[in-house]
Amino acid sequence: MTELTAQVLVSLLIWGTLVGLDLVSVPQAMISRPLVAGTVAGWLMGDVEAGLRIGVIFELFALDVLPVGAVRYPDYGPATIAAVTLAAAAPWELSLGLSVALGLVLAVVGGWSLQIVRRLNARAIQRRAAALAAGESNAIRRLQYGALLRDAARGLILTLLGIVLASTIKAMVHLDRQTAVALTLVAIGTALAAAVNGAVRSSGRSARLKWLLAGAGVGVLLAVLA
Amino acid sequence: MLGVGMGYAAEPLLEDLKSVDPVRHGEAVARSAEFFNCNPNLAGLALGATARAEYEALPGAQIARFRTALCSPLGAMGDELFWAGLVPALVGAALVGVVLGAGWWAIVGFILVYNGIRLWTSYWSLRTGMASGMRVGTAIGASWLPRAIERVGPAAAFAIGAAIPVVAAWYLRPFAFSAGLGAAGVLMAGIALTRWFAPFLTTVRFALAAMIFLLVLRRVGV
Repeated sequence: MTELTAQVLVSLLIWGTLVGLDLVSVPQAMISRPLVAGTVAGWLMGDVEAGLRIGVIFELFALDVLPVGAVRYPDYGPATIAAVTLAAAAPWELSLGLSVALGLVLAVVGGWSLQIVRRLNARAIQRRAAALAAGESNAIRRLQYGALLRDAARGLILTLLGIVLASTIKAMVHLDRQTAVALTLVAIGTALAAAVNGAVRSSGRSARLKWLLAGAGVGVLLAVLA
Repeated sequence: MLGVGMGYAAEPLLEDLKSVDPVRHGEAVARSAEFFNCNPNLAGLALGATARAEYEALPGAQIARFRTALCSPLGAMGDELFWAGLVPALVGAALVGVVLGAGWWAIVGFILVYNGIRLWTSYWSLRTGMASGMRVGTAIGASWLPRAIERVGPAAAFAIGAAIPVVAAWYLRPFAFSAGLGAAGVLMAGIALTRWFAPFLTTVRFALAAMIFLLVLRRVGV
């Protein structure tokens, strides 16, 4: 099943909202990781293979940035879902590149949307500053639920935007085989560059680097044997 | 928003204070919702410790200073343990699992193991914070946490190191050797350019620029 029926659309929107919420609000259970978000989206679309291929490639991109401290990072969750919507039912060798392009743009937009939600939350806190200073429990509860609602709306809007863009691209953009394959190869190359960059940066010059190289050795061996 | 979230989580912990000392309860709730930032999985340590300090009727200013002092160490330890350690270690293992044919099971395993560890850590954090109060620093130092941080980093590096070549082979196997060389060229260019032109040229920007460049080349017939 690959057609975007109303049932599938609603399922994807619910899943996208949950994935959007998971990134920074609740439950932070890692369902927003592209590998999870993409595979479930693929299952909902009836094309698990597309979900896995898209999920794995965005997971490589996600490994580039650790969401620590004050760092700004793209939101790959709803972006991965939109990319899966675009890639489903097509041979992955041809659809991966264009889907990754769409997903990356949406991930950047998702990153900006996080900043907007944070600003709105800060404004809400300022509005209730007096009640907070007085220790009013109701004010804390309203702020908490308000922030969750804003983040849920962010996830929903991003997913809807992504699905609309994916459907439009699917209907209007038709690449020739050579261009589609070339785009896929560029997507694979850049995703691997992101993962290597992230891994090397995290390892620094410490003992971790030796473990990274040992892991790479084992990985090469597994790749040859598999 | 973590400050407000801490206030929200502190409410049930401070409930008993309401009947004993309503004025102190109001002040404690207000303090619990002040600015706070750390890794959420270890926030329970600060939450439990400050709640206990409130019941011990320590001066409010001292509790506020204590809470602020906990932000950086708990943030650093939590990020090292979870974001730089456990998450990449489990993601790397899940990627290898998916590629080697475990499919859904690798993903379910990742979610179960991660959430099992993080829920247990959150429970432990709150219990330890409540039990040790202002001596929470000593309790953390004597706990499993520093040793776990030391061990999980190498595991993460190993798992990601193993995942990258396995995933690369998974994607490139159906293509001709020349296509693989092309992808390797993009990989090398991506690593070099994003390092030279960092922080402006992120990998995402490089990827989008490379794709637009390719489409322009194809359009002009190269």
